Amino acid sequence: MSDVDTAARAFKAAEDLPGAVREPMGELLLVLADNKRLLGMRYSDWILGAPALEAGIACSAMAQDEWGHGRIVYAMLRDFGYDPHHLEHERDASEYRSSELLDRPAEGWPDLLALNLLLDTALSVQFEAMAESSFEPVHYKVQKLLDEERFHFEHARGWTARLATTPQGRRSLERAFAPAWRACLRWFGPSDDPVDAALEGAGIIDAGPDLLRARWLSRVGPVVSGAGLELAEETGVGWTTHVDATWDDDWKPGWRRSAEADGPDEDTLRRVRGDKNRPLLMD
Amino acid sequence: MKPRELVRIQPRPARGTGASAPGAGRSAIGRARYEEGMDFGAVLRATQGRREDLPPAPDFREPPADLAERARRALYEVADPEFPISLVDLGLVYDVQADPASGAVTVDLSFTATACPCMDFIQWDVRDRLLREPGVERVEVRTVWDPPWTTSRISERGRDVLRRAGVSI
Repeated sequence: MSDVDTAARAFKAAEDLPGAVREPMGELLLVLADNKRLLGMRYSDWILGAPALEAGIACSAMAQDEWGHGRIVYAMLRDFGYDPHHLEHERDASEYRSSELLDRPAEGWPDLLALNLLLDTALSVQFEAMAESSFEPVHYKVQKLLDEERFHFEHARGWTARLATTPQGRRSLERAFAPAWRACLRWFGPSDDPVDAALEGAGIIDAGPDLLRARWLSRVGPVVSGAGLELAEETGVGWTTHVDATWDDDWKPGWRRSAEADGPDEDTLRRVRGDKNRPLLMD
Repeated sequence: MKPRELVRIQPRPARGTGASAPGAGRSAIGRARYEEGMDFGAVLRATQGRREDLPPAPDFREPPADLAERARRALYEVADPEFPISLVDLGLVYDVQADPASGAVTVDLSFTATACPCMDFIQWDVRDRLLREPGVERVEVRTVWDPPWTTSRISERGRDVLRRAGVSI
């Protein structure tokens, strides 16, 4: 490790983080872990019933990846004062910080592709912003995670293009992508979020919400436009990074989700906590 | 030597995570359903991958220079649970350090995937094998993800093994 590299990793452990960023960093990690866990659940919903056997197998693999990523991040939260076992197995619905897009199963394959392309990429963009993080425990885990995520994006891109070859397929994608597009843009948070500014200032992330939105658009934009999808009729703004939302009364900072959504539904919660197999849990 | 007990599932004691732990102590969902004394770990141990088809360790010409090297060589006897290949040949063992005075051994171990379903089993097997090595009193297994494992880390010996097992790499 070079001196430069050593200097860049200023924070070896959570306890080394400045007080102003320690709690927000823990919250960001919890948001990411919950999204990974719930997204894995949503992929797993399609292991059977996907349009093709290979797609079901891909969903199985992607679910496994997401749970692996969630497991890593939950474990990191121990150093932030959380109990990973409690986080993974004992919380109520109202305590989950996953996107409201994940609260219920995707109704159809286009809805699953919206999660696969739009939300999964949003999560990867946020992780990528920590690839060179000054917080060493994150830095040393992110690259492996991103390596695995490349296949998720390829899956989403391939299926989006495939479904978009017919007018009916394009319409189904547009209907599914429009609400997810808005939710994902919003997920990065308000432009002037002081917490993000603090994290960026400490070198923990390398970009704030607006730049992350732009990076996200640079990934998913070519896929949707290449597939000939039209969003303008749905939102009036097209495939842009314009956030069509207010922040004051329907946004939970630090949770990255709507304040009005209840959280994962009962069946999702039962499965995501592993209630059925609780007697067999091991540490 | 009496096998160590690895996991005994029983009701969890309340965890002292500190008053600042968000959500701590709010819920006891499902805790009453733990079956006291159920030794699920022992069941898994009895079925673990001590593979008869694992190739013997390389024929080292020189004796191990120190405890760390001896520990590393011992890991040639620990198999990947899915294929007859040792963790060393698979390239998962990133580093082995040892303190001969205290008998403490630290293994830096990576995995092929973040969601490797065998992480626990592999770590148990590593500890189990090293604790059978004379002079080893304590084993710490540290999971590392940097640099990310890729197939390039598989040894030539390991590649031969995998090819014979029908795995293309």
